[in-house]
Amino acid sequence: MLWIECSLVSEYRLCLRVYNQFFQQISMERSIILYSYIDRQMLNMAYPINLKGNIARLQDFYVMSVKATMGIFRRPLYFREAIEQMDYMGTGSFFIVFLVSLFIGMALCLQISAELSNLGLKMYTGKIVGISIIREIGPVSIALVFAGRVGSGMASELGSMMLGHQVDILRVQGVDPVKKLVTPRIIGSVLMLPVLTVIGDAVSLFGGYYISVYVSHQSGFFYWSQIKEIMSFDNIFSGVMKPFIFGYLISCISCYTGLSTRGGARGLRTSTTTAVVYSMIMIILSDFILTRILLYVLGMRV
Amino acid sequence: MIEFQNVSIAFNNNHAVLHDLSFKAHFYEKIAILGISGGGKTTLLRLMLGLVQPDSGRIFIDGQDITELSESELRESRMKFSIVFQEGALFDSLNVRENVVFCFREYSNLSQEEIEKKARELLHKLGIEEAIDLMPEELSGGMQRRVAIARALAGCNPKMVLYDEATSGLDPLTADNICSLITDLAKGEPPERTGFIIVTHKVTDAVKVAERFIYLRNGEIAFDGDIGALRNTEDPELRAFTGELHLSEKHL
Repeated sequence: MLWIECSLVSEYRLCLRVYNQFFQQISMERSIILYSYIDRQMLNMAYPINLKGNIARLQDFYVMSVKATMGIFRRPLYFREAIEQMDYMGTGSFFIVFLVSLFIGMALCLQISAELSNLGLKMYTGKIVGISIIREIGPVSIALVFAGRVGSGMASELGSMMLGHQVDILRVQGVDPVKKLVTPRIIGSVLMLPVLTVIGDAVSLFGGYYISVYVSHQSGFFYWSQIKEIMSFDNIFSGVMKPFIFGYLISCISCYTGLSTRGGARGLRTSTTTAVVYSMIMIILSDFILTRILLYVLGMRV
Repeated sequence: MIEFQNVSIAFNNNHAVLHDLSFKAHFYEKIAILGISGGGKTTLLRLMLGLVQPDSGRIFIDGQDITELSESELRESRMKFSIVFQEGALFDSLNVRENVVFCFREYSNLSQEEIEKKARELLHKLGIEEAIDLMPEELSGGMQRRVAIARALAGCNPKMVLYDEATSGLDPLTADNICSLITDLAKGEPPERTGFIIVTHKVTDAVKVAERFIYLRNGEIAFDGDIGALRNTEDPELRAFTGELHLSEKHL
């Protein structure tokens, strides 16, 4: 895409130089937070469209994500940090996940029950609520809540560490900030989001049960028997696999935006907002792609 | 030996922070870098540590060109330094003890008791042993700087300590204490002495601790000399900058 912009020969040369510069830069692993250097180079070129800056950021993001993921398998292993993150992300998010899941389950059951009553199919409420919650609404809604609570926390914490020179101190002391700060957050996020999703799904189903029995006046036994019926491997796999991907995306995006924070309180605000917005967009996008892939892999007809 | 060769760096909107800057320094020297705020003093320290890369020029640390090194290769060169940032840059989530022994925990095989002993020794040396269990937010500005200095010294035997505005924002008494501390920590004879570079815009603090003074103007070295040369400079801007120094001499 870079070449499309270059209508003039001089522009072409400029792009070639910039491209060479940052590919050389990345191959040399000169900086962990490559963004600062590359962005400076980009801006110095005073190029009207900051497309190159965006490509550089994207490349930076991939480099950081790969390094952080590889850090899981390389020494030193920061167990304590990973446990701390799991506690913060898992235990800390429990209450909000409980609350959100309960009311989503109840609202969903009300809507479905009302609609099915008109069609005389109220007895299928449990089945539809269960499938919706387990396969789609549970993982996505809890991931969105997680992105709002944990993603913003990660971005602001790392952002303030950048602004307060704590990341510089780590680098001066020979500690890899990506491994020390990003890897434990990825571990925490990838392990805790599926756990929270399972808990949230269960709470939502109980919310649905309450509405079915006490508001919609259906048989509780029938509701649970329908839920039991839909608890197949395919449905559970679809619902539990997604949070692993969502957790990885949320932690990588939030850590990257946090570590690229510049410009004081305003920069911190921008990176926190960016972390949440990008995480949410990626959750929705990847949910669609994953659903499409899973339906194909599990052989379900659309 | 630290050597800058024609180093230039510009930030956004092409504003040149440092321009064609060259100088040499030994690790045992006591250097003060003076200049107005935003004059590139802190950038100079960051360049020395390889935290930012110059747009042009070379930086040699013990004969090794650090502008060509990767992040992992820079580690060896960075280990020769420790840095104390203006705000202390203590890790918020760790208490004073854990901040001080951070480097030991990362690299040494010392037992828990030995690490504890070293932390207490360092904090005792800096007069803040009683703060060992406090969190950074519970400390005053002066104490935070002291803890940051303790952490810098606990680093793996640095050859030189870099102080970035170590006395800024402190009351005169605390600033004086920090200056005495910096001087005490750099005692000994060259070349074994652990030297320092202090970046400051407070001339009175600089003359208390340093032996060599470098004044930066428009990203270039406008003055490089000892205290005598600084006092007798004919440069009107530098004389205005060091006015505080001349004033205090008159009072004396």
